[in-house]
Amino acid sequence: MTLTWTDWQAIAVPLVLAIGAVAVLLVDSFWRSASAELRHTVVTLLTSVVILFGLVFVWAHRDDFKPAFCRPAVEGPAQCSLVFEPLTAGLWAVLLIGGLGVVGLSAYRLLAADVPIGEYHFLLLSALTGATVLAGARDLATLVIALEVVSLPSFAMVALRRDRRGSEGAMKAFLVSVLSTAVMLFGVSYLYGVTGSLYLSTIANRLTGLDPDLARVAFAAGLFVIVGFAFKIAAVPFHAWLPDTYVGAPVEVTTFLAVVSKSAGVAGLLVLVTSGIAPDGSQLQTVIAILAAVTMTVGNLAALRQVEAVRLLAWSSIGQVGFLLAPLAVDNAQAVVGYLAAYVVVTLGAFGAVAVVQRHRPAGLLTDYRGMVRSEPGLAAALIFFLVVLAGLPPGLAGLFTKFAAFQAVIDGHLGWLAIVMAVNVMIGLAVYLRWIAELFRLPADDPFSVDIETPAVTMISLCTAVAAVLSVLPSIMFALAT
Amino acid sequence: MLLAILVLPLLAAGALWSVPAVIGDRLAAAYGSVISGLVLVGSVLLWPQNGGWFAYGPQDEPRTEIDVAWIPSLGVRFHLGVDSISVPLIVLTALLTFLCCLYSLKITPRIGRTRSLIALLLVIETGVIGTFSALDLVLFFVCFEIVLIPMWLVIDIWGDHHDPAGRKRAANTFVLMTVFGSALMLLGFLLVQRVAGTLDIVELTSSPVRGGHGIPLVAALLIAVGLAVKVPLWPLHIWLPDAHAKAPTVGSVLLAGVLLKLGTYGMIRILVPVLPDATATIAPYLGAFSTVAIVAGSLACLAQTDVKRLIAYSSVGHMGFIGLGISTLSPAGLRGALFANIAHGLITGLLFFLAGAIKDRHDTSDLRTIGRALYARLPRIAALLTFACLASLGLPGLAGFWGEMLVLLGAYHPAPWLPRTTFLVFMVIAGLGTVLTAAYFLRLVRNLCQGDPAENPPAAFAVDLSRIELVTWAPLITLTVLLGVWPGLLLQQWGAL
Repeated sequence: MTLTWTDWQAIAVPLVLAIGAVAVLLVDSFWRSASAELRHTVVTLLTSVVILFGLVFVWAHRDDFKPAFCRPAVEGPAQCSLVFEPLTAGLWAVLLIGGLGVVGLSAYRLLAADVPIGEYHFLLLSALTGATVLAGARDLATLVIALEVVSLPSFAMVALRRDRRGSEGAMKAFLVSVLSTAVMLFGVSYLYGVTGSLYLSTIANRLTGLDPDLARVAFAAGLFVIVGFAFKIAAVPFHAWLPDTYVGAPVEVTTFLAVVSKSAGVAGLLVLVTSGIAPDGSQLQTVIAILAAVTMTVGNLAALRQVEAVRLLAWSSIGQVGFLLAPLAVDNAQAVVGYLAAYVVVTLGAFGAVAVVQRHRPAGLLTDYRGMVRSEPGLAAALIFFLVVLAGLPPGLAGLFTKFAAFQAVIDGHLGWLAIVMAVNVMIGLAVYLRWIAELFRLPADDPFSVDIETPAVTMISLCTAVAAVLSVLPSIMFALAT
Repeated sequence: MLLAILVLPLLAAGALWSVPAVIGDRLAAAYGSVISGLVLVGSVLLWPQNGGWFAYGPQDEPRTEIDVAWIPSLGVRFHLGVDSISVPLIVLTALLTFLCCLYSLKITPRIGRTRSLIALLLVIETGVIGTFSALDLVLFFVCFEIVLIPMWLVIDIWGDHHDPAGRKRAANTFVLMTVFGSALMLLGFLLVQRVAGTLDIVELTSSPVRGGHGIPLVAALLIAVGLAVKVPLWPLHIWLPDAHAKAPTVGSVLLAGVLLKLGTYGMIRILVPVLPDATATIAPYLGAFSTVAIVAGSLACLAQTDVKRLIAYSSVGHMGFIGLGISTLSPAGLRGALFANIAHGLITGLLFFLAGAIKDRHDTSDLRTIGRALYARLPRIAALLTFACLASLGLPGLAGFWGEMLVLLGAYHPAPWLPRTTFLVFMVIAGLGTVLTAAYFLRLVRNLCQGDPAENPPAAFAVDLSRIELVTWAPLITLTVLLGVWPGLLLQQWGAL
């Protein structure tokens, strides 16, 4: 099999990310003479340049359609392993922006000194490589391998600090991930057995004409694949690993998990659904819809009881995944990608703000934020804005409109009951974030939080605020990503 | 002009937050008064020259100020415009915000932080005026929601300083119930969009969604329930008494005077014209719940021992009248509802100012602790309280009368496609409700104002009407009398009966 020019173009971004990953590792290992600060800066710059290349590429080719690694199919159009199309461009943009944000939040003096930076950036870029391939994958083998490429570096990152909590979190995530891969491979093997193909387009074609007995097997197989993804994105009831892992990891790694890793899982699931594994009105759609309803309700209810900032964000991110799954269930890519874009930007900002506070108040309790409106007005205003976007209320119009799009998708998909569950969850979600906002607005206690915030953190948080504000005024940007 | 009065308070609030917190409270309040005064002038300039109501007659198109695509892929437009139903409400909003800022020049909640309070009031003003002028369903929803977090903060931070846990609970109940209601309303809007293919209120009004069952009925139910939380209609009113009682004076005034009108305005602007058949299906139930609200609100008032809670419950009754007027779907009923909207805003605003004044002077709003014989101790405030109570119970010659009379008239002749007997029953019960209203207001006056001064020694610091209070309340009193003797000032705006 020879590689054509189109193939090269379609894999250009993952390839550059992978090369960048190796380069970063080499620079860090063989340039021991430089000071820590210089090495950190160079590594950060290198990583950023690689990711920026990806963003520029996506921007330049945003309207292109590039099928890669294709083979003529027995029936229908050629079957391809990797496709770069507008949907892929939108997903890559979200993933790469998330990755860039994590790199920015891990600048020198922000990342804990005991985290080896070469390995950190190597793992981050490797995971991004996997994430981009995942978003473009159109056959089951590529999908599974790409998902593993995202997952394996993630565990290593959680354990990078080599302390007890980190190891525990990494171990939990690892075990769950192995289990989910096994479940998914089981489902993949059945799908292959039933349809005789690994290509998603061919599978979708053949699924429609199956005889009823085989259709039941195909349903079970699809269910297993979806459950595999559900573990990765921590949909309830496959979410138990998430809070401990989030709390155990350094905050920057938690940001990575919440932003890149989670988006990658959603992207993979979206690829599966849009390519026709769960066609309109199928039972698999209902399964995803139920998963969405349970996930958002449990996530938000549990978040209501948290007293630690990171744990609250962890549980509420489960709630947000529920909202992402809702339009996904009705195969509305535009709403999913729009929601993901808003979620990525404000989650980056919120974790950035949490990281600032946590460096000085390691306990990470919500009460540490008391009175910040007075003592640290800029940071407090930004954090409030991020939380309001997550809750989906004005002034956070980016969140409001992405929730609106999700509602619209669900209503258009005739899932009235899911819409009602979502309405209830808008209320619970607001209650979650209001608890935190209320702390911020209290009058300062005897010991208000006030520090010199590191310049890179200020830059990143301001950038996130600016982007979220622009998305709030011009929400059509988010919804143009996937079309 | 419309865009200017929307953006000005928002920018002014932003500017106020960006100056350091040390600026004086007086300065902040003066700044707020100037800004909201400008908005008031601007809103009066919007007053339509010729009457008419675009939803119910061909006379008048809404004066569209701005109409641009906002999110094309979702079908959302940024479409603002006013007509003769929205302008009086916008003027009322601007007036009450202005008076609240003016009042804050001298009298502020004990906790201080006046700068932020003023800024939040201005944000609320933007949200409310935006809701009253939005001509796109999603824009309406967005503006509806803008109000929530500022109002939550106003209750949570500046609320009753005796009861931190209570004011927190009140604020949370308020914001969560309203958010849930508005989420249901949004679902209704989306169903409308699915059927009609547009979110534009003008288009929807000229070609409404027909059909009184199926999806239009579900949409109407969702929108009605969502708005009923805001109105609030019995039994969804449970957030209201706490929120009003715990909020600071300016918060209560805006909450009762303006925010409750968002719900009834939404019914008149969206529910009735956009989903006419489905609304006709649910109108008898809406009327029934409104009638229950009138009676239940009045009975609850009879049992209250807290002056602010009493006035809050009286709002439930009055909003019940407005709901009944809307549910008749008749010209008289709808005009009565619109008139009662304005009158209730003026009179209840005044009542909450007075209740706040009494509460500040006695450091409690409990009727028994305040004691009796206010006529002797605070003669001017007591007289004004009696005046406001009489206006509120619907004394002919004052503003409260006309709205309720028109509503009862509407219930006597409901729209021909509604069951007339049912509405006659509602009319009789609502008529009894007015008697109950009179009963509890007279009881309030009797328990608070009358009595032997010898048995009720005056509190040491209780001064009678101060100058700022007089200045703030004078416009409300004047307008109450003016609308009472000359209701045509408003009614002719809405065309002949």
